Amino acid sequence: MSPVPSLLLIEDDDAIRTALELSLTRQGHRVATAATGEDGLKLLREQRPDLIVLDVMLPGIDGFEVCRRIRRTDQLPIILLTARSDDIDVVVGLESGADDYVVKPVQGRVLDARIRAVLRRGEREASDSATFGSLVIDRSAMTVTKNGEDLQLTPTELRLLLELSRRPGQALSRQQLLRLVWEHDYLGDSRLVDACVQRLRAKVEDVPSSPTLIRTVRGVGYRLDAPQ
Amino acid sequence: MTDQQGGVRGWAAGRKGALSRLRFTSLRLRLVVVFGLVALTAAVSASGIAYWLNREAVLTRTQEAVLRDFRQEMHNRAGSLPAHPTQDELQRTAGQMASSSQRFSVLLVAEDATGRTVYGNSGGLNGFELEDVPKTLRAAVIRQQDVTDGNKSPYHLYWQRIVDHGTPYLVAGTKVIGGGPTGYMMKSLEPEAKDLNSLAWSLGIATGLALIGSALLAQAAATTVLKPVHRLGVAASRLGEGKLDTRLRVSGTDELADLSRTFNNAAEALEKRVAEMAARDEASRRFVADMSHELRTPLTAITAVTEVLEEELDSEAGGIDPMIEPAVRLVVSETRRLNNLVENLMEVTRFDAGTARLVLDDVDIADQITACIDARAWLDAVDLDAERGIHARLDPRRLDVILANLIGNALKHGGSPVRVSVRETEDELVIQVQDHGPGIPEDVLPHVFDRFYKASASRPRSDGSGLGLSIAMENAHIHGGEITAANSPEGGAVFTLRLPRDTSPLTEDPEDRAEKDKGSGDGAQGETP
Repeated sequence: MSPVPSLLLIEDDDAIRTALELSLTRQGHRVATAATGEDGLKLLREQRPDLIVLDVMLPGIDGFEVCRRIRRTDQLPIILLTARSDDIDVVVGLESGADDYVVKPVQGRVLDARIRAVLRRGEREASDSATFGSLVIDRSAMTVTKNGEDLQLTPTELRLLLELSRRPGQALSRQQLLRLVWEHDYLGDSRLVDACVQRLRAKVEDVPSSPTLIRTVRGVGYRLDAPQ
Repeated sequence: MTDQQGGVRGWAAGRKGALSRLRFTSLRLRLVVVFGLVALTAAVSASGIAYWLNREAVLTRTQEAVLRDFRQEMHNRAGSLPAHPTQDELQRTAGQMASSSQRFSVLLVAEDATGRTVYGNSGGLNGFELEDVPKTLRAAVIRQQDVTDGNKSPYHLYWQRIVDHGTPYLVAGTKVIGGGPTGYMMKSLEPEAKDLNSLAWSLGIATGLALIGSALLAQAAATTVLKPVHRLGVAASRLGEGKLDTRLRVSGTDELADLSRTFNNAAEALEKRVAEMAARDEASRRFVADMSHELRTPLTAITAVTEVLEEELDSEAGGIDPMIEPAVRLVVSETRRLNNLVENLMEVTRFDAGTARLVLDDVDIADQITACIDARAWLDAVDLDAERGIHARLDPRRLDVILANLIGNALKHGGSPVRVSVRETEDELVIQVQDHGPGIPEDVLPHVFDRFYKASASRPRSDGSGLGLSIAMENAHIHGGEITAANSPEGGAVFTLRLPRDTSPLTEDPEDRAEKDKGSGDGAQGETP
């Protein structure tokens, strides 16, 4: 990761794009902008940013679709920018693979904090490795292998797995996970955790519909167990 | 009255469902009574007149025949007796007279040669004696009248009807003119009485039948009238319940059909009006929703830029001309207000459109309240009375909105310290927010949760959007809870929030959702090796 994080902002409204670019640049980010999803995807291939800020309502292919297309090949962190905080949109956004979302009108500081939190998830930490059944988590290399095969995890998924693996057998509440992984304040949206757990299960579990590693603890949250 | 009604109802219910609507004041009963009275009057008067005419006709005919016979017999037989007949002669003549076709009993009275009164009896009717003849009749018979132009005979034939031991009799008597014997006759009218009796019975039965018929007719008439009335009543109450598509089937051309038609027209007009109003309401709500959506786009740009300006203001370097600094500050603060207003408007439109959803989580209430007041730097102004360890399953973001609005409102109008206390009952969570201000005027109290309600027009513009308490209330409602506002006896306003401890039944369980939708993540990302 370069010392100055580079962002790709995909936003169709000129005023918002200009204003956010101004604001984010002042916060110390390098910002590339695109006005449509198609342009954004093209730009993404040319220069590889560290993170994508993606508006949901775009002409042509919408933000959800852009998000899905990126996720097909890439584990880049994505923050959705949504004017529609209707709950169904948030759910769709999270299911399409976004790491976090902010609701318009967004404060530049909030967006910056979210961006930094997402970027921190990819930072390496000097530590050992842990094994859970066929799953091996190498904390120093920041890689996860399942049956010896590398798993492509987004930084958020990786961070969630790391936080869970740090306390094996201990249930973590959604609010705890939101603070640890997303660095949200006390009002984090617990659906972020649920959506991320689903995605993580799809990658690490043998049978995602009957998880043996990441278990749901009813009324509390989630827990990472070594399979019996 | 009520007792009677109840009694009748009970009786009716025990019998027939159709009669259950029978009340003393009901139209049905009134119709039956009126029909019955009319039928009774008609039948009784008709029967009475018929009976009376029949009776007279029968009796007169019988009587005339008997009297004519008697007169003839007296003339033929008694008149041919000697002036002073013997007992035997008298007896024989009486027997002969009695054997006529009319079968009456005869009593002849005369004086024999020695001046002794002798009686001749026909023997029928248990011995017809002079005592059986009423005295008045006897007196009339033997009274000799003056012969004038208008009255050609000194004696006349007199008759009377008597009843002896329940049997009617015709008694008549006359005296043979010229010193003949006095003759009396007695004829039983029993056969005629029997005939008349059976006639009376028939007429009575006919009257009864007419009454029953009239009652049935009245029922039928009442049903034809009351059924549409009942249908109308049912339809009206359905309309009242809000089923505006209720219509009546119109049949016939009578007044009730007119009434049904009028009802249908009224219902149609009402439905149209309500639909129009709903559409207008919907349109205005959509307008507010669209407007707040539209406001967001420029606001997002403005907000982002304002922050840049704000940082300039705060920077030590003093990058902004002091002349325009107040203007920049105003833009910054008003942008923040506009942001809040739009945010609240969005929230309200979500509630109005019914798209607001709960995102449930298990939270420690004390932690949640502490975080809420901490995040807003209210820790010094709020006196929190809550033990940790009270857990509830609810939407933490919405609880935060409620608390922030209630506490913020208390701080604004009541001033610090604001006291927040948490209690829990078996299935409810009760959070009280109490301030030490002047309280809420009684006339404002019912309106504190109204949107944009300002206690008085002259009141200075407050910082709030005017939607805070209304949003708090909506957020309580979506949890199945409630907020009440009151004034505390020791002064100050008290807002009491009651929330069910487990809101899960109101929404989809997020854990179930996570379990259920696991597969959907696959499609989006695939398992990239």
